[in-house]
Amino acid sequence: MRILIVGAGAVGFHLAEHLSEEGRHDIVLVDEDPARAQNAQEQLDIMTVVGNGASLAVLDEAGIAKADLMAAVTNADEVNLVACMSAAPYDLKVKVARVSNPDYFLDVSRLRSAQQGVDVMINPELECARETFQLLQSEAAMEIAFFASGRVQMMGLRVQPDAPIVGKTLADVASGIHDRRFLTAAIQRGEETIVPRGDNHFEEGDKAYIIGDPQQMSTVLELAGYQEFRLERVMIAGGSRTAVFLAQMLEEQGVEVTIIEADKAKAAKLAEKLKRTLILHGNATDMELLEMEGVGGLDGFVVLTGNDDTNMLSSLLAKDKGVRKVVSLINKIEYIPLVGKVGIDAAVSPRLSAVNTILRYVRRGSVTGVAALRGVDAEVIEFEVEAGSRVAGKTLEDIDFPDDSLVGSITRGEEVFVPLGEATLWSGDRVTVLARPDAVEAVEKLFE
Amino acid sequence: MSALKVVHIVGLIVAAVGAAMLACAGVAALYGSSDWLALAEAGAISIVLGTAADRLTPRPKDLTIRESYLIVTLAWLGAAAFGALPYWIAGAAGPLDAFFESISGFTTTGASIFPDPGSLSKGLLFWRDLSQWLGGMGIIVLVVAVLPYLGVGGMQLFRAEVPGPTPERLQPRIRQTASILWRVYVALTAAQAVLYLAGGMSLFDALCHAFGTMPTGGFSPRTESIGYYSAYHQYVTIVFMYLAGVNFSLHFRTYKNRSLKAMLGDEEWRFFSLILAAGIVVLLTAHLVSGAYDSVEEIFRASAFQVVSIGTTTGYATADYVIWPGITQVVLFFLMFVGGMAGSTGGGMKTLRLWAALKQGVVELRKHLHPRAVMVTRVGGHVVPEGVILNILAFMLLFVASFIVGAMLLTVLGVDIVTAAGAAAAAIGNIGPGLGEVGPTGNYAWMPGMGKVVLSVLMVMGRLEIYTVLVLFHPEFWRR
Repeated sequence: MRILIVGAGAVGFHLAEHLSEEGRHDIVLVDEDPARAQNAQEQLDIMTVVGNGASLAVLDEAGIAKADLMAAVTNADEVNLVACMSAAPYDLKVKVARVSNPDYFLDVSRLRSAQQGVDVMINPELECARETFQLLQSEAAMEIAFFASGRVQMMGLRVQPDAPIVGKTLADVASGIHDRRFLTAAIQRGEETIVPRGDNHFEEGDKAYIIGDPQQMSTVLELAGYQEFRLERVMIAGGSRTAVFLAQMLEEQGVEVTIIEADKAKAAKLAEKLKRTLILHGNATDMELLEMEGVGGLDGFVVLTGNDDTNMLSSLLAKDKGVRKVVSLINKIEYIPLVGKVGIDAAVSPRLSAVNTILRYVRRGSVTGVAALRGVDAEVIEFEVEAGSRVAGKTLEDIDFPDDSLVGSITRGEEVFVPLGEATLWSGDRVTVLARPDAVEAVEKLFE
Repeated sequence: MSALKVVHIVGLIVAAVGAAMLACAGVAALYGSSDWLALAEAGAISIVLGTAADRLTPRPKDLTIRESYLIVTLAWLGAAAFGALPYWIAGAAGPLDAFFESISGFTTTGASIFPDPGSLSKGLLFWRDLSQWLGGMGIIVLVVAVLPYLGVGGMQLFRAEVPGPTPERLQPRIRQTASILWRVYVALTAAQAVLYLAGGMSLFDALCHAFGTMPTGGFSPRTESIGYYSAYHQYVTIVFMYLAGVNFSLHFRTYKNRSLKAMLGDEEWRFFSLILAAGIVVLLTAHLVSGAYDSVEEIFRASAFQVVSIGTTTGYATADYVIWPGITQVVLFFLMFVGGMAGSTGGGMKTLRLWAALKQGVVELRKHLHPRAVMVTRVGGHVVPEGVILNILAFMLLFVASFIVGAMLLTVLGVDIVTAAGAAAAAIGNIGPGLGEVGPTGNYAWMPGMGKVVLSVLMVMGRLEIYTVLVLFHPEFWRR
C-alpha cells in the first residue's frame, strides 16, 4: 500500500516509523521543514518531500495519483483539512485529517457528501482523553482498548504480589471459573513477551493482557489481586486540551475534578470553559499546593503537561502520597518501558492514540479495529470474517495461525465467546487476534 | 458638551409629554370632566415650548457619552416639571406637590400627595396613570423607537436610561429592539385592560389600572386602590404585576417561540419567582398564626397581592399592611430593595444584580477553601466578567448608601424613623407606599417640603439606576 503522510511532527513521524517497520508499505512523508524531513529520511526507510502539504504541486510531487491512503497530521488543523480537500479528485481509499479544534468537528458525512475530501477526522487529544478516562475507571488497568462496538475489552494489568493466581497455570485458573468469557492473550515478564498456552503460569509482577467480555473484568481484577475501586476525586495537572476533554468526561460521570495549571491566563480560560471543575493556579510538582488540596485522598491523578520529565516527576510524587491510580502523559517512546518500573500505573500519549486510530485504516478491508500494545511488541487486531474468506466455516484447530499469534475472542451478534479449538468461525463473526509484528502479515492473509 | 444638543432633545421630549397631555384633555372632555381645559393648557404650553426648543436648535448628528447622561437626567426632570402643570393649573395641588406627584408618576413610583384620589377629576386621574405608563418603558426609549436619526446617539441614550447589568439586544439595531419592547408593553397592557373589562370594571378604571400596572407604577383612580374591586380583579392584577416584573425580552421570546422554555430556563427568572414565592409563604404563615382573616383564600390573596405588588415595585394595595404582624412588614421592606428582573419595568436593585452578587459571594467563600483557585462567576451559563461584578457590587453599595442618606435627611426634617426608612426605600425603589405614616392608606401630603425634594431626587436616582444621575456630580463630568 502506498501511504502519503502530511506532517513529519510527532504523530507523522511515529506513524511513518510504525508502518515502515512492517516492511510492506511505501511511505511518502511531506513536511515544510527541511530539517524535519531530513531527520525522518535518515532514520526511516521512507521517501520525503519538502513542501506545503496543502499545495497541489507538492502533493503531485509526492505521488498522490498513485497513493492509496493519505493521513494529514500536521499541527495545523486548517492545513490538514485543505490537504484532504486538495486530494479529493484523486482515487484514494481513505483520507484522514487530524483535527484538534472541536469547532471544526462538524458532521463528517456532510464533508464527504459535498465531496470535500475528508473521510475521517481524528482528534488525538480527544482520543487520548477517552483512553485516560477508561484507564481511570479501574485501579489495575495499564492499557485499555475496546473492540466489537465495546462488547470486547482488552486490558493490560500488573499481577499483584498477593494475587490468588500467582504460581498457578493458566489452565488451573481457567478451570476454577464458571462461564468464563475472557482469556490471557499475552504476558510480559521482564523484557520477554510470552504468547501463553495453558501450561504457562503467572508470576507476581507479570503484566498480563486480558481480552474478553467487559462485564467479567471485575472477576479478572479480583484474580489479579485488586480491591474494589470507585473513582470519586481526580486531579489533573496541566490544563492542555486533552485535560479539558477529560475533565468534561469526568464531570459528566459526576467525578469531582481539579485541574492545576501553571499559566495564570490559561487557568482563567479553563475556569470559563469548565463549569464544575476546580481550577488551581500552580505547578504540577508544587508539593505544598498538592498537599493543601488533599492529594493523598485522591482516587486518580493525571499528569498532562507538555513536558515528559515534569510528568514523570509529578506522577512519582503523587504515587508517593498514596494516590491509588496515577496516569501520566508520556510522549517519548523511550520512557514508556520505565513507566511500570517506577510505579506509575499507566501512560498515555495523544500521538500513540492518533497512530492507533490511523492504523485501523491502513489495514485491509476486513480489519475493523487495531490496538498497538505499549512497551510490548504486539498488536491486537480485530477482523470481521467475510463469506468466502479462507477461515470462514473452519474450526480454529484447522486454521493455520502463526506461532506468535493468538485468537482472543469471538463476537457473534451480542455474544462474546472464549475461543476454544473446536469453535467454528462463521461469516459475520468478529474476531480479535493478538499478533507479534512478524505474524501480522500472515494473520491478515488468513482473513483476506 | 453642547448645550444646544441637550436643549434640542429635551425639548423634543417635553413636546411629546405635551402631546400626551392633550390626549388626556380629550379623554377628560369625553367624560365631561371640568379639568379638560387645565390639561389642554398644560399640553399647549409644553408643546409650544418644547417645539420651540427643538426648532431653534440644530438637529444633532451624534452625541457624546457625557451629553447622553445629561440629556437623560434633564429629560426626566423636564418631563416631570411640565407634567406637573395640569395638577397646578387645575388647582389640585401647589407647585411642589404637583411636581412630586408628577415625578412620582414618571418614575413609576406611585407615591401620592393626594389623600383621596377618588375625589379627583377624571382628566387628572387619567394623566396620573398615563404618565406612569409613559415612564415605565422609558420616555427616551419611546423617542429612540420613533426617531431614526439618532442612530448611535440613540443607543447611548438607551443605555443611559435602561442601564441594566447586561444590556440585551433582541435585534441588530437599537431602534428595532426599542420598538419590540414597546410592542410587548402595549400588548400586555391591552390584555390586562380586556381582562378587567371582562370582570365588569368600567373602561376608564380598566385603562387607568392597566396603565398603572404594566410600568409597575401603582397609581389607582380609587382611594381604596385595587382593594375596591372583586377577588377576580385582584388576581388579574397579581398576574400582571408579576408579568411586569419579568424581563421583557423573555416575554418576547416566549411569544416568538410559542414556548415557555426561554423563561423556565432562565436562572434569574427562577430566582425572581423563588423570592416572591418564599415571601408569599412567610406572609401566609404569619397570617395563619395571627388568625386575623376569615378564610385561607383571603389570606392567600392578600399575602400574594402584597408580596407581588411590593416585590415588583408596583405599589398597589388591597390591605393596609402597616397593621399586619411585624415579620410581614420586615419581609415587605426587604422586598423593596430586591425589585424586578433586569429588563423589566420594575425598580429596586434588580434580581439579576442580587443573584450575581450572591453567586460571587459563594465564589469568595470557596476561594477561602482553595487559596490558589482561579474561579469565575457564572449566571445563566455565561461568565460574568470581573468588571461587571465590581460594577454590580458598587451599584448595590451606592443604592444602599443613597437610601441611608435619604432616610437620614428625612429624620433630620422631623419624620419618625420607621416612616423615614419606609419612604426612602419606597422612593429609591420606585415602589410608592412605604411603612408607618406613608403606608398604603397614608400619603405624602404632610411631608415637609424639603422631604419631598429629597424623595424626588431618590425617585429619579432609582429610576435611572443611580450611575446615570450620580455621574453628573463627578467633577470630571464638567471638565472640558
